[in-house]
Amino acid sequence: MAFAWKAAGLTYNRYLAVAARVVRRSLKEDKRLQAERRGEMDLRFAKWENGKQGENKSLGEANASAMADAAGQEAK
Amino acid sequence: MLSRAARPALSASNRALTRIVVPNAASYATLREIEGRLKSIKNIEKITKTMKIVASTKLTRAQRAMVDSRTYGQTSQQVFEEAQTKALEDKKTLLLIASSDKGLCGGIHSGMTRATRRMLEKDSSLDIAIIGEKCKAQLGRSNPKNMVLSFAGVGKDVPTFADAQAIADRITQLPQDYASIKIMYNKFINAQSYEPVIVEAFSEEAIAASENFAAFEIDDEVLANLREYALANSIYWALAEGHACEQSARRNAMDNASKNAGDMISKFQILYNRTRQSVITGELVEIITGATASADM
Repeated sequence: MAFAWKAAGLTYNRYLAVAARVVRRSLKEDKRLQAERRGEMDLRFAKWENGKQGENKSLGEANASAMADAAGQEAK
Repeated sequence: MLSRAARPALSASNRALTRIVVPNAASYATLREIEGRLKSIKNIEKITKTMKIVASTKLTRAQRAMVDSRTYGQTSQQVFEEAQTKALEDKKTLLLIASSDKGLCGGIHSGMTRATRRMLEKDSSLDIAIIGEKCKAQLGRSNPKNMVLSFAGVGKDVPTFADAQAIADRITQLPQDYASIKIMYNKFINAQSYEPVIVEAFSEEAIAASENFAAFEIDDEVLANLREYALANSIYWALAEGHACEQSARRNAMDNASKNAGDMISKFQILYNRTRQSVITGELVEIITGATASADM
């Protein structure tokens, strides 16, 4: 694989989000506060199986752990 | 009459009295009641008015976000238009519905639910992912078998691109491989009207199979990235436009509610004044008759 972040199990969107976060954090104080609000994400999600709603989970954490799994598989 | 039914004790003690001066005794009771209702309607009007103002201020921000997000969505969509990408026929389609968590905004959520049900009638094998509690509640009851994912927590503020990215990631992680992902959202036509429309985000194979794809000279390795990014772009567009529609719909709904409350208030005010007048007149009549009667004696 040509991309280091792909080997680390990240998706392109996650890669972009991380890069954007770095840029936001390196802004000057006043601009940074404004910009960081654009990077907030507080969603929950639930899986549905056979017509039943599953547990409500935090989307950010679930995505992170899924990517960690993907990284583990990539290493194998 | 409602007033006397509500107060049996009072009506029992007044029965002897009311037989003689019926309109009087009754109007004392209703006067109180009219006053009470008038007060509660005024309170409701205050609430709806405040909600309207809040929605109006949010609307301007939401509209700005919507105009910005359109650029994202349309630019990424242009690539596929130029490449003449078409959805593959033989595989499953995922329908992503961009609604929100909050109600009190007229029929925009149920409009999308209706459109979804129409699509399900044509093709009952559709898989559905829903953003927002409102459509989830409606479709989760009628078509629970088709649901695969639901997201909550949107609609508090203007949607961010981070929201869209997280949703896109979760969708790409679904085990099933979808031929195309249809994103349904409310298109903002003007402040009064909106309609549910669909943008499509294609799978890698569909993009690779499109007619003018070679013109773009995209490597196979980058294709997956393009697809993920395009999906996030489309979702962001749908979320922002849906959010603007919701705010504008809420503004209209609250505007109508305040108007109706205003109508009711003026109606009740007139009724209240009339009743009050007639009570005073009745009292005057009593006093005068009493005075003349005692003067005769």
